[in-house]
Amino acid sequence: MILIGEDLNVMSKTISQAIKDRDPEPVKQYVEGQAKNGMDYLDLNVGPVKKAPAETMEWMVDTVQGCTDIPLCLDTTNPEAMEAGLKRCKKKALLNSASGTEESRQTMMPLAKKYGSGLVLSVINDTGLPSDADERAGSILESLEYAGELGIPNEDIWIDPVLMPVGVDQRQVLAYMEFIQMIPDLAPGAKSVCGLSNLSYGAPKELRGLLNRTFLVIIARYGQDAAIVSGFDAELVRLVRGEMPETVSLIHRAMDEDDVDLSGLSKEDQAYVKTAQVLMGKTLYSNSWLEV
Amino acid sequence: MTFEAPLEKYAVKIREVALGTGEKARNIGGEDTLPFHFFEGALPNPPGLALEIMDTAPRNWAAPVLEPFGDAVSDPVDWGKRCVDDFGAEILFLRLASTDPLGEDTAAADAAETVARVADAVQVPLVVWGTAVEDKDAEVLVETARVCAGKNLLLGPVLKGNYMEVAQAALEHGHAIVAQASMDANLTKELNIALCKFFPPEKIVVDPTSSALGYGMEYTFSIIESIKQFGLVDKDKMMQMPVLADVGVECWRTREARENREQGILWEAITGMTFLLAGANLLILRHPEVLGLIRKMISE
Repeated sequence: MILIGEDLNVMSKTISQAIKDRDPEPVKQYVEGQAKNGMDYLDLNVGPVKKAPAETMEWMVDTVQGCTDIPLCLDTTNPEAMEAGLKRCKKKALLNSASGTEESRQTMMPLAKKYGSGLVLSVINDTGLPSDADERAGSILESLEYAGELGIPNEDIWIDPVLMPVGVDQRQVLAYMEFIQMIPDLAPGAKSVCGLSNLSYGAPKELRGLLNRTFLVIIARYGQDAAIVSGFDAELVRLVRGEMPETVSLIHRAMDEDDVDLSGLSKEDQAYVKTAQVLMGKTLYSNSWLEV
Repeated sequence: MTFEAPLEKYAVKIREVALGTGEKARNIGGEDTLPFHFFEGALPNPPGLALEIMDTAPRNWAAPVLEPFGDAVSDPVDWGKRCVDDFGAEILFLRLASTDPLGEDTAAADAAETVARVADAVQVPLVVWGTAVEDKDAEVLVETARVCAGKNLLLGPVLKGNYMEVAQAALEHGHAIVAQASMDANLTKELNIALCKFFPPEKIVVDPTSSALGYGMEYTFSIIESIKQFGLVDKDKMMQMPVLADVGVECWRTREARENREQGILWEAITGMTFLLAGANLLILRHPEVLGLIRKMISE
């Protein structure tokens, strides 16, 4: 599993302020923390950057590259900022993200070709977010065809099926799992990637990590290649790096079996089982799913 | 070869909730199959049909829905008796509209006294409804529970912000409650889980909130339907509560109902009947003719 740390994000007050003040210290701390936790890429989310887009992204890229050689994943909806950042990246970067919308085809996808970066390509298109696995397949095939015309090989494409919060619609979570299993046939050579934290949006703050970690174990089993994750979650890294095999096999059991005997399990393992059951659509989600 | 229709058997049932006391007491829920699936399972209790009255003369009810009650609307006891004696209501729904803090702001003690007067005057089960202002309802419904101890009222709406106080009082004084979560099965489940930590599940009815025909009725339909399916098909214990649909208030708000008597009656009847088909166990109605129409439809 390729892990992309998400914490250099303008949504964080610390990072937002650091960008405003051009203060490298907080950024360095965030880089070091995520690097220490074993992230393979660092996502730099500078938002839509209305003011000085190019200069802002350049500063971020330079600051981060000043203290690490982990490759970068540039995250902005502003093509000017994206291009400026890609120019500065020393290692092969990831462009996060393009989609099947006409605007994205015109402004974002060509940048990946021009700078030889990887391309995160979401299944969103001009009609919005596809509602099930088949519609996702239809949308991504069209985008792949277009990317092929631009000369971007499947090997450079990271497909983002778009993960929706489990509290909004459990069926979308199931559609996600169904779709990632289709990717090797739809796009041989391409990878799958997702914004993992979106899964737990709206859930109680102290339980979000549990949802995210359990889901990552589930989709790893279905062939997920990469995920944008909380870069400071050490347990998440241990889970997907083979350091918690018993918990992983317990989650697999919860996926396969209708009922898992909870007696004799630690409280933490019981929580993983209950969470897996909710994510597999076996029980209706509620914010108090652990209390049942 | 003879054809045999495939039948579903569900190993569980919707909980049966008892309303009221004495001879006129009745139950709702208790079915072990989907709505009107008589060929598949048992539906021991026909849907409850309640007529709505208010604790104060309504200010904005449309003429066609006021007309059947005449002067009785100025006194909740007269109005309630009229509903029961003249129009055959088997359940009465008393909306404590005057307790609205933005309106008359009637004190909890006065409201509770009104409820007691109505409860003493009619024998049928009584649903008592606040204004969905959490703090005020916590006072009004708690006081009502105390004053009417032992009458097995159905108190609502019990919301996320006041379920502790209201459910505790209901438990202490022997009443059932309606847990309300707006148009969301996940939130319905969450509130039920919270309640069931100290409150008996067989005294809970759920209200996913309702919308009228033409104003989002299909959303209510889907939610009621999915609550029942989660409960029966997926055997989710926290989703096996009977469902209430507050139909009249929503229908008689619409322009279509207000502009024409016949249209209004049909609007309310169609909305109510639709919710019964989705799986509602208790309808709150305003027009007596609608009560008759729906009763006729479901008995045929």
